[in-house]
Amino acid sequence: MHIPDGYLGPQTYAVLDAAIVPLWMIAGARIRKTLKARQVPMMALAAAFSFVIMMFNVPVPGGSTGHAVGAVLIAILLGPWAAVVAVSIALVVQALVFADGGITAIGANVVNMAVIMPFVGFYLYRLVAGDRPGFGRRIVAAGIGAWVGIVAASIAAGVEFGLQPLLSHTASGQPLYAPYPLAVAVPAMALEHMLFFGPLEAVVTMGIVAVLARQDSALLDMKPAARPLRWLWAALAALILLTPIGVLATGTAWGEWSAAQLKGALGYVPAGLGRVGTLWTASMPAYMPPFIANPLVGYLVAAALGATLVVGVAWGLGKLLSRKDGSTPVDPPSARL
Amino acid sequence: MIPALAHIGEAPPRRRGSVRSLARRTADAIGHAVAEVLENDELASGPGLMQALDPRFKLVSIVAFAVTASFVHSLPVLIALVLATMALAAASSVSVTSFAGKVWSSAGLFALLVCAPSATAWITPGAVLVPLGPASITAPGLLIASRLIARVIAGAGFGLLVIWTTRWTDVLRALSSLGVPDLVVATLAMTQKQIMSLLRTVENMHLARESRMLSTGSATENRGWVVDRMAFVARRSMKTADDVYDAMLARGYSGAMPSLIDLRATARDWAWMAAGVTACVLVLGIDRMVFPT
Repeated sequence: MHIPDGYLGPQTYAVLDAAIVPLWMIAGARIRKTLKARQVPMMALAAAFSFVIMMFNVPVPGGSTGHAVGAVLIAILLGPWAAVVAVSIALVVQALVFADGGITAIGANVVNMAVIMPFVGFYLYRLVAGDRPGFGRRIVAAGIGAWVGIVAASIAAGVEFGLQPLLSHTASGQPLYAPYPLAVAVPAMALEHMLFFGPLEAVVTMGIVAVLARQDSALLDMKPAARPLRWLWAALAALILLTPIGVLATGTAWGEWSAAQLKGALGYVPAGLGRVGTLWTASMPAYMPPFIANPLVGYLVAAALGATLVVGVAWGLGKLLSRKDGSTPVDPPSARL
Repeated sequence: MIPALAHIGEAPPRRRGSVRSLARRTADAIGHAVAEVLENDELASGPGLMQALDPRFKLVSIVAFAVTASFVHSLPVLIALVLATMALAAASSVSVTSFAGKVWSSAGLFALLVCAPSATAWITPGAVLVPLGPASITAPGLLIASRLIARVIAGAGFGLLVIWTTRWTDVLRALSSLGVPDLVVATLAMTQKQIMSLLRTVENMHLARESRMLSTGSATENRGWVVDRMAFVARRSMKTADDVYDAMLARGYSGAMPSLIDLRATARDWAWMAAGVTACVLVLGIDRMVFPT
């Protein structure tokens, strides 16, 4: 997911490079409050860990190997703000020492892997785990947080790539940077992370959290959920407000064609698809509630309803796991970053 | 290759068709990464155009080059930038073959894979150059893909050249001198040292496993072992932080990071800067006026 130089145009990388400065300042201030002078080695070690975890080859089904990013794991161990600094430093070292990731794209890489991934993953972990999770609930929460965290980061990268043909093109419409539109870039990035890298990240994070919970559970101290949940709601609201970006995309995402669109492209509808495609009729096809005419408002309402549904399911799952766990606390709550 | 490092990442003789274990492959990859960093330091200490420059000017150059390349739209100018990075490599005693090979095998190959579909009629319709059905290569598609690949190679090439010709300690000194807070510079310095230390630990773990194993092991076994070792590295990282801080205090750490070496710009550095600014203006001027898109 490391974006090299050349894929993003100046309008995109300049905004993202500028956006990370205040984020780093806030992260630094938050860490300074808690870690004091001990922050230097702690941050250095966390950044080194973040770097090294990417060097572990993990076997995946099919005989191949992949590697995890570890941003959600670091957020679980140190808190999301510390993860912002640690993963950012690892990304800067990767760019400056190993030429992995671009110089102009540092802002984009930091936003995706050091901000979106740990924050989304950590707050989802907190939401599902609750304040005093048992062993099983903590592991499931870590897996869900890691999977959603990396998928969210990949979608952000897909949006950054997909905006390029809209923002920078020649007079004849040829894209000057990343060539794929939103309808191709977002599904391509999201699908490979949902099916391949996401499960890998989840397995690795769950495994490490399981080992640490047994051997050194003090490293997994939970912090009170009140403030993190406030951030979660704020981030969720911001994401919902950004959803109309999807309306900018023209055409249909690759592989998501309807029967009518397939007929237009191929001249026929495959028999199996025609049979199965009518089994279920969605209440809001194409994210457009039938009772709203304006597409922008419809997209916003669909995003709000979808988010409510997902949060409700996650909350219900958390409650269910909490009952099965017998609410046996692994370690006491304490304040962390 | 530094003679003392010749053994790093060196695989034992293999029979044809034999499969290297996961532990061996990972240990080799880590060994190569460590050796590469140490070799870079050796190259950066040698003679050459880029090596002789003040690291502050090189850091500013890397940003200026990347930004300028990002504003260039025409393929001929982007190719000229790629050739310029190779000329700079030759002037800096860097083997052009290994430099081009490294850039192409990392950034170039990745860019090629990413943008290959955009060269086809499936994504970019237009005049067909190579008829291959729905995957026919079109003229506008080829131009779009070539432009992206050339830009990626130019940016990655110049970045790699600066990395290869600048010692990490000089990069840190330059960052400090350019106003980056001491705390950040100290963290970056420590991070690089800890990365090397942890990489060594991880490499040794994998080599130890390799030496104990009679077979390559199943994927499930390997996965369990890798996750367990990752957890070990996590615990060791967190525990070591406290020890490192105590050691810093014992050596009189007070928050400041004094440097014993002053960086002084010479006439050569200012000449480099003037040439760089002129080149950037010329490149953008030619791109906009000679090859308007």
